[in-house]
Amino acid sequence: MTGAWVGWLPWAVAAWLFGVGLYGIISSRHYVHLIGCLTIVQSATYVLLLSIGYRRGAGPPIFHAHPPSTPAVDPVMQVLVLTDIVVGATVTALLLVLVLQFHKRRGIVDPQQAAPLT
Amino acid sequence: MLIDILQILLAVTGTGVALTRRPVRQVIALGANGLVLALLFMALQAPDVAFAQIVVGTAALPMLFMVVLASMRMDRRREDRREGMS
Amino acid sequence: MKPRVRTALFLAAAAGAMPALVRALPHFPAFGDHPSPYADRVLASAPVDRHVQNVVTALNFDYRGFDTLGEEFILLCAVTGVTVLLRGSRGEHRSARTGQVEGRPVIPPGEAVTLIARLFGVATFVLGLSVALHATSTPGGGFQGGVLIASGFLLVFLGEGYRGWRAMMQAELMDAVEAAGALVYVGCGLVGVWQGLPYLTNTLPLGTAGSVWAGGLMPVINAGVTCAVLGGFGMLFIEFLEETRVNPDAEQDTEAPKS
Repeated sequence: MTGAWVGWLPWAVAAWLFGVGLYGIISSRHYVHLIGCLTIVQSATYVLLLSIGYRRGAGPPIFHAHPPSTPAVDPVMQVLVLTDIVVGATVTALLLVLVLQFHKRRGIVDPQQAAPLT
Repeated sequence: MLIDILQILLAVTGTGVALTRRPVRQVIALGANGLVLALLFMALQAPDVAFAQIVVGTAALPMLFMVVLASMRMDRRREDRREGMS
Repeated sequence: MKPRVRTALFLAAAAGAMPALVRALPHFPAFGDHPSPYADRVLASAPVDRHVQNVVTALNFDYRGFDTLGEEFILLCAVTGVTVLLRGSRGEHRSARTGQVEGRPVIPPGEAVTLIARLFGVATFVLGLSVALHATSTPGGGFQGGVLIASGFLLVFLGEGYRGWRAMMQAELMDAVEAAGALVYVGCGLVGVWQGLPYLTNTLPLGTAGSVWAGGLMPVINAGVTCAVLGGFGMLFIEFLEETRVNPDAEQDTEAPKS
């Protein structure tokens, strides 16, 4: 299936994921649901970065079984996404702990019921 | 062609995660989204990234979400019980 | 701000951005044809200059080793934040009673689950160790190996229940492993400084491509990163799973059975 539209599909998917995740965040009724939508927004950036680095007909940037001059995809983008995934999971854990503490103190789990702290 | 199918599937699962309101169900959707993301990374010739994403997106992150939900439910029941008794 | 107003504002912003996106999308560089001179340089130089076959590892720990040091710092800070917040409100004790929601029984893991978790837990540990060791030749590295071993810990929790999990995971040991990994990374940078070169210069002998010890300083940094990620995720899991136990301060108004 070739055609002109597959040239810009990754950018459209990344933009769509970002928009959908953002909509989920602003219309969320539960803090844990909000953090899940934040994970979707993060995955939009992963898709964008790796799609920038892709080259048609190229293999992975690992030359264990191929000689070092075979065409390979961009490894710099993979480095960015790799550390991002692991560190993003840890930061999401920290956010979940903040939600848990907030629930323990105030008993509220709905972001739209939480009045600003005065 | 495989990449295009996986990207459209990723858009569908991502929408599913955002539109699933109940958090316990959203955790399952998150696991499915993580799996599709890992398959897309494999199709984009990034095996290192797919390794990390499989473990983090399907095992570690849903587990963290589930534990927080269980802990919140336990606290809520204890508070209700304490209010009911006092 | 009311929810309706917020949603209306979001839809208005999306409606404003959508024509621009639709208009610009066909003019983006086509997927798969993007030229990147930096990537070409690195792909040409990493197997020759650094004697490694996994260019992603070479970038991670050598060419852009300073960025990875920053990422390690974020990992350390986030795990410290989680530990301080959770232990600060729960205390330092460990509870033997599993937390229970009213009306729900506490079911021990079934025998099939224990068997599968034991088989696959051992396999996951070995796979994680192998992936972490072969960082410079096959797809793998410190980050992937560390999270694989941490997921092996989760399998242990699934199969053995809380007692087996707690007997194996000592919080002090995980803490020490994580700190040792971070210290090894920082110390490896000082090897170059000791010889009068910039921080994190790769000065150890480079070895032959394809062997586990290729790449000079890279296997050492890789081992440090594996320990740091493994310790960090182990601490996260320990602190999170402690939250499912009954708090002894509140034990007078719950009657949870021992697990």
